[in-house]
Amino acid sequence: MFNGFLEDLVNNLKKLPGIGSKTAQRLAIHLISKEKADAINLAESIKDAVQSYKHCSICNMLSETDPCLFCEDSTRMENVICVVENTQDAYLIENLHEFRGRYFVLNELLSPLDGIGPEEINFPKLERIINSGEINEIILALNPSAEGESTINFLASQFEVKNIKITRLSTGLPFGGDIEYTSSLTLSNAFKRRYSVTE
Amino acid sequence: MLISSLKIKNFRNYSDFKIKFNPEGALILGENGIGKTNLLESISYFAFGKSFQTSRDLELINFSKAFFRIEAEFIIQNKSYSFEAASDRSKKIIKINNLNIARISELYKHLKVVYFSPNDIEIIAGSPVFRRSFIDQAISQYSFEYIEALRIYKRILKQRNALFKANYSTKEKRAWDEQFAQVGTNIIKLRLKYLATFTPLLEKYYKKISGAREKLNADYKYSFPNDDEDIYDNLMDHLLRIEEQEKHQERSLAGPHLDDFDIFIDSHSARNFSSQGQKRSIAIAMRLVQTELIKEKDDDTPILMFDDVLADLDKMRTERIIEMLKGKHQIFIATPNVTNYRSFGLPEIDLKHELGKTSET
Repeated sequence: MFNGFLEDLVNNLKKLPGIGSKTAQRLAIHLISKEKADAINLAESIKDAVQSYKHCSICNMLSETDPCLFCEDSTRMENVICVVENTQDAYLIENLHEFRGRYFVLNELLSPLDGIGPEEINFPKLERIINSGEINEIILALNPSAEGESTINFLASQFEVKNIKITRLSTGLPFGGDIEYTSSLTLSNAFKRRYSVTE
Repeated sequence: MLISSLKIKNFRNYSDFKIKFNPEGALILGENGIGKTNLLESISYFAFGKSFQTSRDLELINFSKAFFRIEAEFIIQNKSYSFEAASDRSKKIIKINNLNIARISELYKHLKVVYFSPNDIEIIAGSPVFRRSFIDQAISQYSFEYIEALRIYKRILKQRNALFKANYSTKEKRAWDEQFAQVGTNIIKLRLKYLATFTPLLEKYYKKISGAREKLNADYKYSFPNDDEDIYDNLMDHLLRIEEQEKHQERSLAGPHLDDFDIFIDSHSARNFSSQGQKRSIAIAMRLVQTELIKEKDDDTPILMFDDVLADLDKMRTERIIEMLKGKHQIFIATPNVTNYRSFGLPEIDLKHELGKTSET
């Protein structure tokens, strides 16, 4: 039933994360049938964003400027660096307004299955930043998955000799959660890393 | 727990089939090849998220059809649940009470089935694969932590094996080794704990079945030099020693995925020094212990399925087993021959007759 431009549009929409055949069809029909001006605007803003965003040459963050706004901001602390998997994670942390240091985006996690080793996670670049001597804490804000854990192990082992504080995000009970419904792995982590409530 | 009704479509030899079950279970009768095992297979799909014969759903789809679909009503701790599973050539969907489950492991939380297979003798006589799959299944039904650890371990194992096909640095390998050994150690500890509870019960059940007074023991066999104390350190040390071999074979050569356990009967390996009859009795005793431990943990009784396994035992042993379980579990016994079992008073389901009702071929 779909052919020509419409088929192209459906197929291109389907490549987006979280969009299946049905949603792609619905979106495509919506775009071409209602408020055509909106659709043209959407097309243009996609084009503008795609063309103007690239990876910051210092931290790899997707940014309109190079260096990015974080790396340029001289009010941020120079001695703490937060290592994240992608730009989105950096923004999630930034929105907490808790962290005022530098970021470093790996863009990938170690995954031999996908051919991703230290080079691919931009390790040499991170190493240069750490070796510059300005950093005294590295925060490894990575997913607690098999790949994330190995990346944490790897980075920690690389920098442990440098007399730098290396931390990772804590894993444990979610706020508003319920011990009864927490997986035993999470619960055992939370138990091991329990903290004092009186200090 | 029990199953009260089942609906299957395009599953193995069934194209469209509906049946209701009694709480006490059933004797499923019919000649060989009519689909007795397939019926049990469809029910147990809801306990394991896959068939007990194959992990490929494709083989379960009725010849020339595009998908299969099974629906069942279960009663678990006095609450009723509707389960459904469907699979086509590309994906499977499993729902509990109309909600998609995120992981197969959720099935293990809800429904427990113990399937006494005619191949169970391989747990004693066969290769380590059979013993590992027995112990993995039994502990998964017993401890949710184990399923999680196993899932993560399999992922790390896959990544680590891929690492050996690539160029890697020592530190990169160490990052994977540490995690591999950590999760691997967890798995081993959970297995040791399970076996410690399992072994005394095994001897008890074996005695009940056979009347014999042999001593039974289970001994865990590591795929690396180990002393039960510092499993993590020993595994890490061994991984360093075998790096060249692993690189050469491009896979992980030590860890719980290669561990094994031995059953000893009067301190002789049951694998090498026991008769067919003894092996069969030990295998059944192992399934009974699996059942017992689920019961202890769950406050509910698993559904039991005997797929023609009791046929090889003498009448007295069979009676001992059924008397032990009757009235406590929903029991399904599949057999071509009713005479051995009629005395147990289970409702009879004549498959040929049932298939005729829904105009099956």
